[in-house]
Amino acid sequence: MTLTRAGVLRRIDAAFPADPVVLTLGGTAREMVAVAGRRPNHLVNLDAMGQTVGVALGLALGLRGTRGGRVVAVEGDGSLLMGLSVLSTAGHLKPDNLVVLLLDNGVYLATGGQPTAAAGADLVAMALACGWAGAREVRTGEELTAALDWAREAAGPLLVRVFVGTEQIRTDYLLADPAILAEDFRRWLRAPTGGPADV
Amino acid sequence: MADEAERLAAIHTARSRAVIEGIESIDPDFVLHLASSTLGAVLAHFLAGPGARAGRTVFAMPREEEGVAVTCGLELAGRRPVMVFQDNGVGNLLTVLLTLPQAYHVPLYGVVARRGGLGEYNSMIHTVSERVEAILDAAGVRWFQLDARTPVEAWAPEIKRAWTYSRTTHRPVFTLVNLMGG
Ligand SMILES: Cc1ncc(C[n+]2csc(CCOP(=O)(O)OP(=O)(O)O)c2C)c(N)n1
Ligand SMILES: [Mg+2]
Repeated sequence: MTLTRAGVLRRIDAAFPADPVVLTLGGTAREMVAVAGRRPNHLVNLDAMGQTVGVALGLALGLRGTRGGRVVAVEGDGSLLMGLSVLSTAGHLKPDNLVVLLLDNGVYLATGGQPTAAAGADLVAMALACGWAGAREVRTGEELTAALDWAREAAGPLLVRVFVGTEQIRTDYLLADPAILAEDFRRWLRAPTGGPADV
Repeated sequence: MADEAERLAAIHTARSRAVIEGIESIDPDFVLHLASSTLGAVLAHFLAGPGARAGRTVFAMPREEEGVAVTCGLELAGRRPVMVFQDNGVGNLLTVLLTLPQAYHVPLYGVVARRGGLGEYNSMIHTVSERVEAILDAAGVRWFQLDARTPVEAWAPEIKRAWTYSRTTHRPVFTLVNLMGG
């Protein structure tokens, strides 16, 4: 059975309750809020398409050595393709705490489901060819469980390409002020609280 | 002719030194660069000279836009990054500037080498470079210019002030530096 994006997001939230998570624009961020609520460790990229992994890379480089754990980017296939050069930058710098969870539905879902060019692209091979420490594909719930365990432990940078369907859940628009999102996130970084009980 | 070439080379050397001094006064722990022949001396300092030192990460951004995203992450993590690139890349970074640091009130600083003015040797780069002030103004991105009108001794402190100003005002700020003749 095809994984759903909302289901995968719920699993990501449970797997990384106390690590910085950068959420990509569109339905991914909105569905995360719908399934997990507003988490202090989540930074929402409201509209900077193509830049989600770049922000996470900067955080990973900046936090490496000062804070244990991971920096997670939850990215879409269309957005990753817009900023694909970041694969080479991360592969070159090799932050061992960076994890990219790519939710690949094969389309620009937020704008109506137009197909992306991801279907014909071996993104796992690209990441590995760029020097990433690990990359793998996920199609089933069992593979997702194993991949999330791996992503919490193995030395990065790691890419997990999760194939998901195009089913969406109904959500409200995310009308948050980005300046407040950034400040909330910075405040959490300075004094991290963790785990579902904190929200 | 030879005199003019020597005069321009001396200007380039003195201004490059001032830019290095200015960036060093910020004490950046990350320097993100996109190469430019004009910036050769400045980049050499950070890549292979005294500016390449333990505790500092110096790396190329493949695209200015990506550099802004990575710099934003570094700033959010509490680091001291500086971007160094050439002004014909400004067109590549407007969307990301306006959707990340400007919108999220994240300070971000860059030193941008001017091209296309007096002393330019390339016959077409001015098509972008001459519009950079207008592009940044239209985008509402704050910038300061250092060129022949500012004594070179004042450059380094001005660069540090511009970095501070990006913190004071919680947004991207650039210093446009003319390392050529103008
Ligand atoms: C520069 C830019 N161009 C276009 C858009 C419009 N846009 C918003 S979300 C989106 C789709 C993103 O696709 P993907 O990353 O695959 O995520 P999905 O919607 O499939 O979850 C697009 C094209 C944008 N936000 N920014
Ligand atoms: Mg998609």
